[in-house]
Amino acid sequence: MATNTALARERRFIQILAVVLAALVMAPFLWLLQMSFKTNAQVFQFPPPLIFTPTLENYEALWTSGFRQSFVNSLVVAGAATIAPMLLGVPAAYALSRWQARIAGTFSLWILVSRMAPPIAFTIPYFLAYRHLELLDTRTGLVIIYMTFNLSLVIWMMRPFFDQLPRALEEAAWIDGATTAQGFFRIILPLSAPGLAATAILCFLFAWNDFFFALILTRTEAMTAPVAVVNFMNYEGWEWGRIAAGGTMVMLPVLLFSLLVRKYLVHGLTGGAVKG
Amino acid sequence: MSEPRTGRRHLLLGASALGLGALAAPPVLGQARPFAGQTLNGAAFQSTFFEYLRAFFPEFEERTGAKLNFNTQAFPVYNQRTDLELSTRGSALDVINVTFIYSGRWIGAGWLTNLSEFVNDRNRTDPAWDAADFVSGAQSAMQDARGNTYGFAWEAGAMLMAASRADLIDQAGKAMPTTFDELIAACDAVQGKENMSAFVADQLHHWNWIPYLMGHGGKVFRDPPGNLTPELATPQAIRAAGWYAELLSKYGPSGVLSFSDDQAMRTQIAGRANFRTQAITWLVPLAKHADSTVKNTVRYALMPAGPQGNFPGSNSHGLGIPVGSRRKELAWEFIKWALSKEMLNRIVETRGYPSVCRRSVITGEAFKQAMTLNGQDVASLYLQVLELGGRSGYMKYRTVPVFPQVGDTINRGIARIATRQQDAQASMRQAQQDAIQVLQRAGVTLDAN
Repeated sequence: MATNTALARERRFIQILAVVLAALVMAPFLWLLQMSFKTNAQVFQFPPPLIFTPTLENYEALWTSGFRQSFVNSLVVAGAATIAPMLLGVPAAYALSRWQARIAGTFSLWILVSRMAPPIAFTIPYFLAYRHLELLDTRTGLVIIYMTFNLSLVIWMMRPFFDQLPRALEEAAWIDGATTAQGFFRIILPLSAPGLAATAILCFLFAWNDFFFALILTRTEAMTAPVAVVNFMNYEGWEWGRIAAGGTMVMLPVLLFSLLVRKYLVHGLTGGAVKG
Repeated sequence: MSEPRTGRRHLLLGASALGLGALAAPPVLGQARPFAGQTLNGAAFQSTFFEYLRAFFPEFEERTGAKLNFNTQAFPVYNQRTDLELSTRGSALDVINVTFIYSGRWIGAGWLTNLSEFVNDRNRTDPAWDAADFVSGAQSAMQDARGNTYGFAWEAGAMLMAASRADLIDQAGKAMPTTFDELIAACDAVQGKENMSAFVADQLHHWNWIPYLMGHGGKVFRDPPGNLTPELATPQAIRAAGWYAELLSKYGPSGVLSFSDDQAMRTQIAGRANFRTQAITWLVPLAKHADSTVKNTVRYALMPAGPQGNFPGSNSHGLGIPVGSRRKELAWEFIKWALSKEMLNRIVETRGYPSVCRRSVITGEAFKQAMTLNGQDVASLYLQVLELGGRSGYMKYRTVPVFPQVGDTINRGIARIATRQQDAQASMRQAQQDAIQVLQRAGVTLDAN
């Protein structure tokens, strides 16, 4: 009986500790969230009021400003920069996984090289090339950049998933008359769903969160949301409420996307770690 | 009823008047809509000046026939993008803001068009435009060593002192401080009164601290722009650093070392901090901002002087033309129009813009009226600071291309002292070493000792 009480007490303590830790981890986000519902004057009240009359004026201001277009740009660019590398990279990862030649390893390493150099090393060449090709300040230009980085990520994330799937499954399909493509699409891909979800999220996150390339390669037409948020830092004063509202809006799609595929995400990130 | 008669004398008089008029007017204005069909691409950082000016853009478009495509971005975003555009000699921009902290780099590298050639050409510039009317202190950052001009200032930041609650100073029996010692005494007298901190500053010590450094007899570089040997570990610099760090840590609100410009301003506006020495742009809102709780108690003064004199900081931002622009003539028309006496007077009259750089506008009635803040004539203080900076040239340190890197070492040095990580001597010696390394990496030749 005493042991049960001690166990219950310990469990409760762990639960409280978990809640406190979660609150600590979430504190910056929650602080940003509550700021987004305050006026600039309320933001600077000291001590900060915990109970206040919330206002939607910051979100309304976002909706009526250029931020709305930037948000759409971010969605389009990040979406395209997720789908295109997945379409190209997943079959490539499968091919590399099933390739028996010794050069396959070297080949994979070269693919990874594109992610090894710091992005700043590419800035000037990209800027000059894009100016020549008239790709500056276009969504297409940004998608191409993100695609080059995401492609290697897709290949390196997906290859271990395919490695761990027994070849016997495809071979059985082939014996039953399936083509290589049918074996891939009907047998292998459905079994790799967690990996696909995890990889897609990481691709989306990379493109969605990027600030540097969007800063350098856009002006007004293709400006993405992270850069647009910075534009609320005016020379004569920062619009704190709008910055907070913009920051919240930038986080929202990632949160929603992550919640939707949470189940696959955990499995996907750990799957492939152990072969067989 | 007699018919109007057009006699030979009338004809001759009319023809003479027409001829004189044609000679007097610059040729470019003689043509009807001379830039029709062209598009002028401009960029600047977001500021109220361009917000106000934008309202008049249709007039420029109507007058010239050109279309204006003028984008404004956040300060860091604009600087990053424009630096890249200029460094690759691009032609995407025709008129740009010449940012103060980059002006030395952009002018030195030959990335901007020499506007002196435009000013001195009567066909391009009517002498009545009066380039000499721009205050020398504001223009000094826009010129090279030979005196050629690469930009005309639209904004000047003249460092003043503002006390948000002058009533508390009065109650303590003190006056607005005129010396460093008086500032400390006044801070002592008002610290903690009505839950207010006596002093506030933002984290850009490389801007805020330098007037105190110079007031103590120190300097950043030995003899800028020719000799950039850093002077951060001299006895004067160490004394000034210790003094300023003490001012921040003893009289500043908690977290002051990480305050941005805006946070420091908001702290004053909310009545949580009293004194601040900063550019006028950040002090005027105390009297004018809708959220200000100190409109009726704010008071302005010149920066206090140190034992070696008064060296209030001044800076300026101007309009210039990238060397790669393909529409330089149109860009110059825009600069002339935007910074004409008439336009600046209109902006002052209609919007009360506080940072103009033309002497005739600053001394005019409209500016004086706009800059009479809480019953005080701040316009004359503003002009005094700008002239001080222009005359003595003590702001030369600020526009050398490597200053941003050296400035970072100063920021870290002051922060180390204020947080008690190091004493003033050790910290400034460290700052000196760091500055030497930074300068040597940048290829700057330094004195041996």
